[in-house]
Amino acid sequence: MKKTYIPKLDDILGGGIIDNASVMFSAVPGVDSEAFGYQMLHGRLKDGDKGFIYTNVAEPETITYEFNSYGWDLQKFLENGDAFFVDGSSPFLGLPSTAKYTIEDYSKMEKVIMEAIEDVPDGIGVINNLSTIIDYLGEDETIKIIKKWNLHGKKHNTSLIYLFTKWDYNTGLVEKVKRSMDCVIEVKTIEERVIIGQGFMVAHSSWSKPSNTMVLFFVVQPGGIKVYIPKILVTGPYNAGKSTFVKRISKRSVSVDRKALSAFPTTIALDIGHLEYKGFIADIFGTPGQERFDLLLDVLGRESVGAFIIVDSTAPETFGRAKEMIRKTRAEAIPKVLVANKQDLSGALSPEEIREKMKLGKDIPIIPAIVTEGKGVTDALDALLGLLYGD
Amino acid sequence: MIVRIASGIPGLDELIGEERGSLAENTVTLVYGPPKVGKSIFCYQFAYEGFRSDEPCLYISADYGLNELERSISNFGWKFDEYRENFYIIDAISTISGLEVESRDNYFPSSVHNPTDIMVKLGMAIRQIASKSHRFRSVLDSLTTLMAFNDELLIVRVLTVYIMRIKESGGTAIVTYTEGSADSKVENMLKAIVDNIIHLDGEKLTIEAMVGSGKITASYNITSNGMIVE
Repeated sequence: MKKTYIPKLDDILGGGIIDNASVMFSAVPGVDSEAFGYQMLHGRLKDGDKGFIYTNVAEPETITYEFNSYGWDLQKFLENGDAFFVDGSSPFLGLPSTAKYTIEDYSKMEKVIMEAIEDVPDGIGVINNLSTIIDYLGEDETIKIIKKWNLHGKKHNTSLIYLFTKWDYNTGLVEKVKRSMDCVIEVKTIEERVIIGQGFMVAHSSWSKPSNTMVLFFVVQPGGIKVYIPKILVTGPYNAGKSTFVKRISKRSVSVDRKALSAFPTTIALDIGHLEYKGFIADIFGTPGQERFDLLLDVLGRESVGAFIIVDSTAPETFGRAKEMIRKTRAEAIPKVLVANKQDLSGALSPEEIREKMKLGKDIPIIPAIVTEGKGVTDALDALLGLLYGD
Repeated sequence: MIVRIASGIPGLDELIGEERGSLAENTVTLVYGPPKVGKSIFCYQFAYEGFRSDEPCLYISADYGLNELERSISNFGWKFDEYRENFYIIDAISTISGLEVESRDNYFPSSVHNPTDIMVKLGMAIRQIASKSHRFRSVLDSLTTLMAFNDELLIVRVLTVYIMRIKESGGTAIVTYTEGSADSKVENMLKAIVDNIIHLDGEKLTIEAMVGSGKITASYNITSNGMIVE
């Protein structure tokens, strides 16, 4: 196994990629997929492997410059011979090239890359960009060539990493390309009017059974790909059942609290949980209900992507406080779901009665729940995910 | 009701018969014609009109680098300097011609033969713009240059994504293309995926297609103050 050097990806793939894997990053136009290929190459070079980049989209100098902006010194590896370029870009622009290999026309590409693969046994080759090859050579020819390269990679124990931009090709072609790879990683956008985030997800891998987890990431210079775990806020008035809710939705949780010595144990600091549900990962923060902790609400509210507001359905006198907390968490601006807890107790108001009393708009789902029994908890999660990602 | 925005070309808005503007908001207009008939000048005026009402412009320049672009614009006496913070540029040419360009927040270097990267920069720029304005203008000048460096069909795909991104984020755009530079099939595809089509031939401007309007032809001139429709 070889590491990918992409955070979280190795876990999902069961430890990394097999040595001679063919891996494709299939990116929606607009997401930064080059960074994935470059980060893998740099990690492998640092580990002492050899590697090459075939480029038909940027000159070697530009790519070396990009590496620098990520804080990775490619020049060093170019100079000591551990890395080299197959330059399929400069000749098309009429520019001189100092690369080890240059490709002046596409008919020579197949053979030159075969040689490049032989030069990096046990190493790694990055193909940037596969879409451009398809556009020049056509589907059938490209798929034939990919298969040959992948076989050659197997023979020389070389990992081949393809960067593919999913323009509006017909799905048949995309499927065929995917089937020629050991592993496909989809790189997507998360949009709400404009792209607000990017995520990656393993579509398939021949050596493991990856979970269908969508990992949110951003690309920073310097640094490369950083994984981003969104926060979800759980708030509501005193004694509404927030801590229990956090425990219920979390894979694991801790209560950073000191139980107050009274008839009602209550959280006086934070409940922290970690959620992994239907491929969505998030950290959960439950805030205390008392007013003296309202400063926390403001801080956490700013950083959260969504919120659960928990209310005690039998205590309409606390609804005013719940509304105030929504305001203080700035939850007005983020998607939120109201959880109408304690539906099993006598005198519990129905979701519609609560909506009316709180004067809440229809855009906020109200989910009836009995959190202590786990009832309504997954409905609430589904409702928030629906708001965040659409159905 | 169709909301129209000012084109920035004196005389053009009046042709459509609306006082406030001629280009339907949140649509994409193809401006095409032979070389040197004023397609880029049309774009400058469109962008400049937006700046005057504090609308940002996202300009994808494949023909001229930042410095040359600013020079050609200032030749008409327009002061882009004051509007720099609203002038978002994806410069797809300077890096391949080896020019050093000053770096600033709303300047995105890219490369004509890396459409994938152009789309990444487009996303970054739109995110910046969306955080401060609900409406903006965009220019893609020109498709012809992108086609010279890439497969023509790929550029049709790129244009499709560009149009989708601009529309979903509330922008109004102009794209330019030099008549006859691509295969006629490709040319027809370009015309099919835009909303409005304006043809320039050096003397006459023809609105071949426009949301909510019929075909109209008028004479135009390029003066030292830019393009004027008579």
